[in-house]
Amino acid sequence: MDELNKNLKQAVLDAIKKDGVKMRPRWHFLLLAILTATGALILLLTLVYLFSLVVFFLHQNGTWFAPSFGMRGWFDLLRGIPIYLLLLLAVFAIVLDTLVRRYSFGYRRPLLTSLGAIVAVVFIGGFAVAHTSLHHALDFQARHGHLPPPLGMWYGHHRAPPGDVYRGVIVASTTYGFMIALDDDGGTSTVIITPQTRLPFGADFSPGDTLIIVGDDMGTDTVRAFGIREIDPE
Amino acid sequence: MPTDEEIALKAQSGDTESFGELVGRYEAKLLRYARKFLLEPDDAQDLVQDIFIKAYENLRSFDATRRFSPWIYRIAHNEFVNELKKRQTRKTVFTIDFDTMFPNLQAPERADTAALERDSREMMEKHLEKVDPKYREPLVLYYIEGMDYREIAEILHIPVSTVGVRLSRARGILQKMAGDKTIYG
Repeated sequence: MDELNKNLKQAVLDAIKKDGVKMRPRWHFLLLAILTATGALILLLTLVYLFSLVVFFLHQNGTWFAPSFGMRGWFDLLRGIPIYLLLLLAVFAIVLDTLVRRYSFGYRRPLLTSLGAIVAVVFIGGFAVAHTSLHHALDFQARHGHLPPPLGMWYGHHRAPPGDVYRGVIVASTTYGFMIALDDDGGTSTVIITPQTRLPFGADFSPGDTLIIVGDDMGTDTVRAFGIREIDPE
Repeated sequence: MPTDEEIALKAQSGDTESFGELVGRYEAKLLRYARKFLLEPDDAQDLVQDIFIKAYENLRSFDATRRFSPWIYRIAHNEFVNELKKRQTRKTVFTIDFDTMFPNLQAPERADTAALERDSREMMEKHLEKVDPKYREPLVLYYIEGMDYREIAEILHIPVSTVGVRLSRARGILQKMAGDKTIYG
């Protein structure tokens, strides 16, 4: 055993002295640490941006407000979430967590704690960014064809509400409801209010109000409202 | 007698003989770790030599204000896990690790009498080869290398509480193999 060990030590020292094994300089590790930290920061900012984009889209197509009409509204919200953006968020979050777990403050804690911290930061940051004018400005650029793909494509594709959600501005009152100009295609629809229509924030509607309507398409541009609420046009 | 960290500091400035001193201090420990964790591999000597070469190449990344032992054992752990992956081409080693996913209550480290520990160690060494590598490694580090939970956590890059969970499960597995004879530690 002693002989073996002597050989091992000698073999290591020979590799260093004769085979030219070199110690990497300190700046190499410093650079690696800076690159890793920068990569982690870029990933975190990307996550915040993507999450705020999801919130912005849901506000724009109206599904964000649909849960105030009950279970049917919640389903509309789920259907309105862009799945590929959610998948992208999940992939980036896992990559970021893997990077964070290279550091002692990451691996000393359970996976759910580090991942939970990332999700919390992304939620808070995402909601904060969604309330700035960033996405409105980018959306404006996309409408005028000034944004390169995939940004231009993203902003363009999410203006139309999914399924039975309608967003528009009242242009005139009718006997059983009102007529609205739809935000997504510029067309008009007649909205019929029934005794069953849910009005969680009241029925004080007047021309010029921006509304979210969840309802059933009756054909000939007529919608029987399941729920209606007024929203801030922004 | 200078500490490992003091010697490492000298080696970082290019003193090859100091590094040789560190090799002398750790070669027997790492060979034993390789033999127990990888179950008497033929190339233990080569593997440990590679560990020391990697340690030398990366020595300047070692922070001399921290302990040297977990640092070099971490390099050994990575080398051995890679070796296991090479060997087990079909089976995956260390896939999704649910032990590190959830917060666990930390199992206290237990201090038992020397006789009890000796019995447990003998039983463990007898059945070690049948234990999954994920549980075998903390057993080797705790019982054979004599490390505490915190050091093992630093080497495996897992929470300290997870070390307790893995050791507890490993003891359970050994107990089953040994016909429900209690494993202490």
